[in-house]
Amino acid sequence: MELQAVLMAAGGGSRMMDLTYNTPKPLLPVGNKPLIWYPLNLLERVGFEEVIVITTKEVQKMISTDPKVKLDVKMKLDLVCIQEDADMGTADALRHIQQKVKTDVLVVSCDLITDAALHEVVDLFRAHNATLSMLMSKAHEFTETVPGQKGKKKTGEQRDFVGVDGTGKRLLFMANEADLDEGVVIRKSIMRKHPRMHIKTGLVDAHLYCLKKSVVDFLADNKSISSIRGELVPYLVRKQFSKSTNSPKVIDETHQNLKKNDSNISSRDEELLHLTQERSCWNDHRGDMSDAYHGGRLRCYVHIMDEGICYRVNTLAAYIEANRLAPKLFDEPAVHPSAVVSERCLIGADSIIGASCQISDKTSIKRSTIGVSTTVREKVKVTNSIIMHGVTIEEGCNIQGSVICSNAVIGRGADIKYCLVGSAQRIEPDGEHTTASPHLMSKACSA
Amino acid sequence: MGLVASRGGKQKKGNVTSEQEEEEQPLQAVLVADSFNRRFFPISKDQPRALLPLGNVAMIDYTLEFLTSTGVQETFVFCCWMSNKIKDHLLKSKWCRPTSPNVVHIITSDLYRSLGDVLRDVDAKNLVRNDFILVYGDVVSNIDVSQALQEHRHRRKVDKNISVMTMVFKESSPGHKSRCEEDDVIVAMDSKSKRVLHYQKTQGLKKLQFPMNIFQHGSDEFEIRHDLLDCHISICSPQVAELFTDNFDYQTRNDFVRGILVNEEILGNQIHLYVTQDGYGARVSNLQMYDSVSSDMVRRWVYPLTPEANFTDQQGQGCTHSRHNVYRGAEVSLGHGSQMEENVLIGRDTSIGANCHISNSVIGNNCTIGDNVVLDRAHMWNNVHISSNVEIHQSVVCDGAVVKEAVRLNKQCVLAYNVVIGPNLSLPEGTVVSMHHPEEEEEDDDDEFLSDDQEVGHSKDKTRQKAFNPAEVGPEGKGYIWKASMNDTEDEELAQCLWGLVLNPDPESDSESEASEESQDRSRSVSPEIDDVNAFQLEVLGTLQRGLEENIVCDNLVLEINSLKYAYNITLKEVMQILTRVVLEYPFQQQGTQLTTLQYTGSLLPLLKTWSPVFKNYIKRAQDHLDCLSAVEELFLEQDTHQTAMVKVLMKMYQLEILEEEAILKWFSTGATNDKSRQLRKNQGLQKFIQWLKEAEDESSEEGE
Repeated sequence: MELQAVLMAAGGGSRMMDLTYNTPKPLLPVGNKPLIWYPLNLLERVGFEEVIVITTKEVQKMISTDPKVKLDVKMKLDLVCIQEDADMGTADALRHIQQKVKTDVLVVSCDLITDAALHEVVDLFRAHNATLSMLMSKAHEFTETVPGQKGKKKTGEQRDFVGVDGTGKRLLFMANEADLDEGVVIRKSIMRKHPRMHIKTGLVDAHLYCLKKSVVDFLADNKSISSIRGELVPYLVRKQFSKSTNSPKVIDETHQNLKKNDSNISSRDEELLHLTQERSCWNDHRGDMSDAYHGGRLRCYVHIMDEGICYRVNTLAAYIEANRLAPKLFDEPAVHPSAVVSERCLIGADSIIGASCQISDKTSIKRSTIGVSTTVREKVKVTNSIIMHGVTIEEGCNIQGSVICSNAVIGRGADIKYCLVGSAQRIEPDGEHTTASPHLMSKACSA
Repeated sequence: MGLVASRGGKQKKGNVTSEQEEEEQPLQAVLVADSFNRRFFPISKDQPRALLPLGNVAMIDYTLEFLTSTGVQETFVFCCWMSNKIKDHLLKSKWCRPTSPNVVHIITSDLYRSLGDVLRDVDAKNLVRNDFILVYGDVVSNIDVSQALQEHRHRRKVDKNISVMTMVFKESSPGHKSRCEEDDVIVAMDSKSKRVLHYQKTQGLKKLQFPMNIFQHGSDEFEIRHDLLDCHISICSPQVAELFTDNFDYQTRNDFVRGILVNEEILGNQIHLYVTQDGYGARVSNLQMYDSVSSDMVRRWVYPLTPEANFTDQQGQGCTHSRHNVYRGAEVSLGHGSQMEENVLIGRDTSIGANCHISNSVIGNNCTIGDNVVLDRAHMWNNVHISSNVEIHQSVVCDGAVVKEAVRLNKQCVLAYNVVIGPNLSLPEGTVVSMHHPEEEEEDDDDEFLSDDQEVGHSKDKTRQKAFNPAEVGPEGKGYIWKASMNDTEDEELAQCLWGLVLNPDPESDSESEASEESQDRSRSVSPEIDDVNAFQLEVLGTLQRGLEENIVCDNLVLEINSLKYAYNITLKEVMQILTRVVLEYPFQQQGTQLTTLQYTGSLLPLLKTWSPVFKNYIKRAQDHLDCLSAVEELFLEQDTHQTAMVKVLMKMYQLEILEEEAILKWFSTGATNDKSRQLRKNQGLQKFIQWLKEAEDESSEEGE
């Protein structure tokens, strides 16, 4: 086993509270499958047989009991629960399972939906004997109108500055705009080693990392690091260029420990690899005559996807976009065989109808997702919307660009445009709702 | 006839008339045949830099050939220093023949003191009507800039004259020998539009800083490039001359570029860059560059401008090219057993004696070289006489110099015009010998005008009287030694250093900075933010330090510590513990941790005395005493090699009445909580001290009775 897969599925989804109020983020339906299915499927496709899933008790319970979130995977899932209220970061979680980590790890976040060729990331990791390799993608513009948001999304968000070398693979610099009060500061020695640096700002981090086992051990020794993305990755990127005598001692020491541990495969290769690198005339750079990698022990790489789907479902906008694109990722019939669909209704090819749905006459469903056991009555129009599980839509409703959460009931003749309807809410008949604040709607009904 | 066909004449016909007109206008160039600095002193006292021979051809000829081959039809040559010499040279050259495709206008003035002056004059005289190429007279290049020119014109058409300049760079990684350390630049650019966002010389910098505003132009991809060699070729819009007129403080191109970039938002002007991968372009800005450009020339990197091409079209300049890049001019005689190993260029009518060994060298016309001479990376100009048994390494020997028997020139020596050296002498590395006395130049310094190229002849009579020093230049020698550090008025030392900087800067200094950075990094990463207690501790330390240095009264120290206490929200108990710790660690802080116990107590005890009022202010209640004692204990548990000092400290504190005996006794009997502290209490000295305390107590109580 070369890599162990670790799936981080304990996040609360704090940036889309409206959706995660009732359903934990990993189990949000996307294309009628729980969100967590996508990274699991990604891992399964490339041949992983086992995966460590770090999650909360709540999610674990729902996975084992709720038939609607049945995970359709053959891999062996090793569920590890962490306390919800402990406020653990991803690095904390990784530290938590240190005992289970026997080799290098592949860490994936549960909100990743991608068709990326995973081997690209792993190949970088292998080819350069890297400490870290990660996946990034060009940021997507979300085109759909988001319920509750008027007008275009503000671009006030702070950008990440990612610096890669001339080949676009080696990660040289990483910082968030917020931390760059004094501007981008780069040491001249780095520029001398990598004279051409591309600084990219329009990238999203897919939160998919290959990490050396020694990094996990390093985490165990350094309790102050709590997040992989926020602290560990920038730390490793920075450490690449510090003198080997001084800093990566920590990492070095763990390397040493690895060597002592004979049972480890990668450690046995370590010495040989080092020797090969010394004897080989291969070099990773041009220009000066110094050793490959300039003698550095730590190396961070990034694979940047130019095209393809890569979404992190962590905002409402991303959730809607993912629902629109998800059907393209797997080839299953758009209409589930167990759904009862009247012949006299119109269902667009870009829509998905979940299991045991009931769709009545004269309805029209376009560019929408209808969840499991949902009932749609006569003369209903659903466009550009996401209907979760167990929703009942009475006659003559018109739903456009909205998200209807599980078990909601939409009264007869309601007209809903660009709204988010909370879980188990009842919408009064003949009401008209346009771009209402989703928060308000869920409060109004729970009250 | 130029070897490279002129491209200017055969521009394709545009289909739109206005475009056609624009294209039809002759391409103009401004050639600045003055460096406006003294880097080539004392060589350039006798000959302007543009006329110094490189591969036996004056440098300005390379520049003109480059301009002509790239399609320039009209060139304005601006001369200042020794303008007559340059003028004579040009008038005799092929450029002033009626057949020349490139019309050369020579404009001379003694008033030019910088590039800025030249361009202001260009504007005043209204010489340029369209985009022009700006170069110095010491640029050697074979870059075809027509591509860059096209891009420049396109940008100007699309963006309505926003782009004012396109700088031409050549790609070459750091450490490349034709990179000039002084000209080492870092450029931040927009990847897509090739726009320069930031331009900075990196010399002497360890960290490169890029302001955030350059990244806010809507683009999401930037490039930071350090692999660029500035060719000092720029394609300028006519506005450039106007901008120089508008901004009288612009003296160099560097000023201009920085000014444009800083004022980009106000003026809306932009600068772009063009990077060539396979062309050759370099400016001979110091002797180091002279050395590397000359050797590149001989190695044919500047093809088609090669020595045998005789592109200046002068009679008798031709030479033959044989393998290992050995070039021989006409009538060269080579003695028996002499070897020309590789990369050697020998001018016409030069005779070489027997058993010589020549490699990587350029020898001018009409030179005579004796027997058993070793030349490696030597640059000898015309009419040089070298006697037998001479060794020359990486040095420049100017016209008319004579090197007598058995002289050795070590690396980076310069023999200026008509110098005589030897016999039997070894010149140390970096020696510069000139017929001009260095003091001539010093007198000159009163003049604020710092051109290469100033008339200095008026003091010649004085110089004559000074005798040559035979110890320096040999018994028959003629010439004065120039010392690099002679010039005090110049702030930058390197301005006097002919050879420029060493190519490989000290790697040590670099790693040092890394190490320090490292330690910063470390502390940052381990505790992302210093917590209040630590910050408070540092502040207390600082306060006490200042107190010692400036002799501040203890009351004031107490005041300061109290205000810090509130600022950092520290409890009284913590204040005391931290204070105790800071004071006890003070000797380590000041003198390092390797102190012997004796040294430690020696420096600590007076401190305790000085600061005892501070302690007394905080230690009042019984509990305070215990807290203080436990802080002392904690420290000595950490510094276990100095445990013997603890008794002395406690003793002193007792004597100074900081601590009371009951408290000490109570601490001793009850304070032990773990093995270590129990171990500590077994210290013999401590036990004796306690014993003594007990007895003293008994005594005093007895007395009391």
